[in-house]
Amino acid sequence: MLLKKHFGYHTFKTGQKEVISSILSGNHTLAMLPTGTGKSLCYQLPGYVLEGHILIISPLLSLMQDQVEQLKKFGEKRVIALNSFLSVEEKRSVLTDLKNYKYIFISPEMLQLSYIIQRLQRLKISLFVVDEAHCISQWGYDFRPDYSKLGEIRKKLNDPVTLALTATATRKVRNDIIKSLELNEVAKIESSIDRPNIALHVEQISGYQEKENRVLNLIAKLKKPGIVYFSSKKAADHMALVLRKKTNLRVSAYHGGMDSNTRVLIQQQFIHGQLDVICATSAFGMGVNKENIRFIIHYHMPPQIESYLQEIGRAGRDGKPSVAILLYTPGDERLPLQLAEAELPTNLQIDWLFKIIFQEQIIGKKQLNPEWQELGGFSELQWRIVESFFSEPMQELDDLLSLKDTIQEFINERLEIKKQNIFLMKKFIESSKCRREFILQFFDETMVNKLHSCCDLCGDDIQAFYGNEVCGQSPSNEETWKDYLAKILINSELRE
Amino acid sequence: MQKLVSIILDCIKNINNERTIYSILHLLNGKKSSQTIQDAHLFSIKKYFGVYESLTRDSFERIIDEIANNQWIKPIEEQRYLLTPSGESYCKKNPVPPHLNGWKYYSMTKLFWERLSLFIQVTSNLVYKETKYIPIQKNKDIHTWVKACLVGTNISRQEIGNQIFHELLECLDQVDGIQPPVLVFRLTGYQQIGLTAEQTANKLKMDMIDYQLEFNNILHYMIKKISENEKNFPLLSFAVYDIKKANDLTNSTKKTWNLYRRGYSINRIAKERKLKVSTIEDHFVEIALNVKNFSIDEYVDKSQQEKILEVARQEQTRQLKQIKEMLGSVTYFQIRLVLAKYGERQWN
Repeated sequence: MLLKKHFGYHTFKTGQKEVISSILSGNHTLAMLPTGTGKSLCYQLPGYVLEGHILIISPLLSLMQDQVEQLKKFGEKRVIALNSFLSVEEKRSVLTDLKNYKYIFISPEMLQLSYIIQRLQRLKISLFVVDEAHCISQWGYDFRPDYSKLGEIRKKLNDPVTLALTATATRKVRNDIIKSLELNEVAKIESSIDRPNIALHVEQISGYQEKENRVLNLIAKLKKPGIVYFSSKKAADHMALVLRKKTNLRVSAYHGGMDSNTRVLIQQQFIHGQLDVICATSAFGMGVNKENIRFIIHYHMPPQIESYLQEIGRAGRDGKPSVAILLYTPGDERLPLQLAEAELPTNLQIDWLFKIIFQEQIIGKKQLNPEWQELGGFSELQWRIVESFFSEPMQELDDLLSLKDTIQEFINERLEIKKQNIFLMKKFIESSKCRREFILQFFDETMVNKLHSCCDLCGDDIQAFYGNEVCGQSPSNEETWKDYLAKILINSELRE
Repeated sequence: MQKLVSIILDCIKNINNERTIYSILHLLNGKKSSQTIQDAHLFSIKKYFGVYESLTRDSFERIIDEIANNQWIKPIEEQRYLLTPSGESYCKKNPVPPHLNGWKYYSMTKLFWERLSLFIQVTSNLVYKETKYIPIQKNKDIHTWVKACLVGTNISRQEIGNQIFHELLECLDQVDGIQPPVLVFRLTGYQQIGLTAEQTANKLKMDMIDYQLEFNNILHYMIKKISENEKNFPLLSFAVYDIKKANDLTNSTKKTWNLYRRGYSINRIAKERKLKVSTIEDHFVEIALNVKNFSIDEYVDKSQQEKILEVARQEQTRQLKQIKEMLGSVTYFQIRLVLAKYGERQWN
C-alpha cells in the first residue's frame, strides 16, 4: 500500500522487503544489495512508518543531491541535504527548523562539527543510515577517513537503529563495517552480487588503434543503447567525436570536465532515448535509472573489481540479456596505477607541510591554513585526506611528530591496497576459468547454477547481442523550429 | 569563427591604433576594469562588451596572427594594428550579429536564458499534465521565480502552452538578423530534452565560437524586444521582470560611490579605503560613464570641459596624451572625466 501510494511501484525488488521488515522490527541491519535494485527505498519507505527522523550519511555530494531530487520527484517535501553547498544563511535557517525535515541527508564532514551534533541530539533519530558503507572499511576501495568516526557519532545520537547499505563489499569489508559502527547484533541481508542476465566478456587487443577500431566495430553491431567507460576525459571526448564522424549514431561524451547544465542535459537525453551511446568517465551513472541499457564497454580497465561490477551493473535492469565487454591491451594497468598515486599526497608534500606547520606552531598558530593546499600543490582529494587527520585546534607539538608518521603510514598502506586491487583486476582479465565464478569467489559466494550465456571463457557468443533495433525516435532533420516549439508546448490531444 | 573575426576587425577599426589589441580581448571577456569600461564607451564598441567571456588569450592571439597573415590588418607598432581595405571588405561580406548589445545586456543574458528555459520546461510539463520530471536548471532562485510567475498569471493551465507558443512566434518569427533554431532546439519540454550548445552547433553546422555569438545575439534581441513591448508578451515579460541589475558599477567603485555620496573627497576616500588616489580616480571615471546625474563640474570647470571636447573633436583623437599636449594645463584625470561624460554623445 505504502509502496504504491508514495513511490508508484507495485512490487518490491530483491531484498527490499527483507531489509525494510528487519528495520521496522528494530534490528540493526547490514544490507548488501546489487546496484540498480533500489537501495534508497530501504530507508525511504520506513520514513512513512517510523516516528522521528531518518538521518542519512552519504559520502558523495552528487549522490546526495540526486537522492534528494528523487524523493522530491515523488512529492516528498520534507527533505534536506546538509552539506558544504549550503550558504551560511541557508545553513542557519535549515538548522533552526531542522525538526520539520523528515529525511536529513548529511555529509560525513558536517557530522564532525560539534554544533551540528548538538542540533541532531535534540531530535529523535529513528533510523541512522550509512549509505555506501564500504567507505568505512580501510579494505574498501573507496575508504574515507571521516567515515571511520561514525561509530562514535552513532553513540552520541543515542544508539539509533542503524542501516548500513552497500552494493559491493567483500566479507572482510562487511565485518569491518559492523565493527566500526559498533553494532552488537546485526541482521545481514546479503543478496548475491551476481547479475545473471549480464554476460561477461574480456577481449585482448594488441594496440591502441586496434582498440579504437574494435569499439567502432562493436558499437556498429551491438544492440543499443549502451555506455563506453573510459578512465580519461580526453579519451572519452575523442571516442565520442570519432563515433559521431564515422557512424550515424547519436553519441555524446560525459565527464566531470563539462559544466553541470550540459551534464544534466546529456544524462536526461540518454534516459529519454535521445542518445544511443554515451562515452563516459566513472562520473556517469549515479542516478541514471535507465532500464534498457544493453551493453557496457570498458575501454580502460577499472581500478578494482568493485567498480567494474558497479559499472556493468547499469546494464540490463529490465532483466533482459545484456553484455559487458572489457577491452584490454598489454600495459593498460599503468593508467590506474598512475591515477592511484595521484590521488594520494606524496611524501614530498607531507614533508613540506609539516615543515610549515612546525614553523607556525613556534609562533603560536594552531590552525591548518587552507592556503597551504595551493602552495603545496595538493589536489582537492589529497587535501581532504590531509585535513581529516588534524583536529581543531591543532594537536600539540609532541603529537605532531607521530602524526606525520601516521599520515605517511596511512598513505603507504592505501597505495598498497590500491595496487592489490589493480592486481586482482588484472587477474580477472587474465583468468582462464569462468569469469562469473572468479567474481563470486571474490565475494565469498559460490555459483549455484551454471548459466547459458555466462562469459567468453564459457563459450558465450557475443553475436547474440548484435541487433539493429533503433532504440528511440530519431527526430527528422526536417523538423523546423516552429514544429519543435509546437510539439513541446501544444498538447494536440487536448485540442480535440 | 567568421563572426568573431568580423567583431575583432570592427574593434580594430574603431580603436584606430589608439590601444593595443589586448584591450579587445578584455572587452570581449567583459573584464570589469575601469580601463576596459572606458574604452568600450570611448571607441563605440560597448556592444561587444562581454559577448565572448570564455575566449582565452591563446585562441585570441591565434586569431590575430591568422587575420594578420591574411592581410586584413597591418601592424603599426607592437600589439597595434590598423584595418586594411581587404579587412574592410571582409567585414562588409561577413556582417557581425546585428543585435549584440553586450554593455546593456551581458549581465542579464545568463539569467534570462535560465528563466526562459525553465519556464518552458515547466509549462510544457503542465500542458502534458506531467508532475514527475527532473528540472534542467538547478538554481533554486530560478525555481522560486517560476513558481511566482505561475501564481502571478491568470492564464489557465490549458491555455498557457498555447499562449507562450504564440508569444515566442511573435517574438522570433521573420526577424532579420536572428536565427531562431540557435535557441529553440535547446529548449527542454515534456519527454523531450533540449540539445546542448555543442549539439546545436553541430546540428546547424556552425562552429562553437560563432554559435555562442549567435546565441547571445538572439538573447539580446529577445530581451530588448520583450522589455520594449511588455504588453504584447504577457508571459515572456515575466522573464525580463526585475532583471536589470541595480547599477552597473564594479564592486569597488560602488564602495567609492557610497563614500562620495556621504561627502568624502577623493583624497579622503583614498585614505579611508587604503587605496591609491589614482585608483579612486579610475572609479570616478567609471561613475561618470554610468551614473547619469553625476556632475563632473566639481573637478573640471565648464570652460575646460569645452576646450577638451573641442580638441578631441578637431584632432579626431581619443588619445589622452595628444589632448594633454595640446592643452597643457589640464590633468589626465580631467580629460578622462570629460571624455567619459560627454565623449560618446559628441562623436556618435
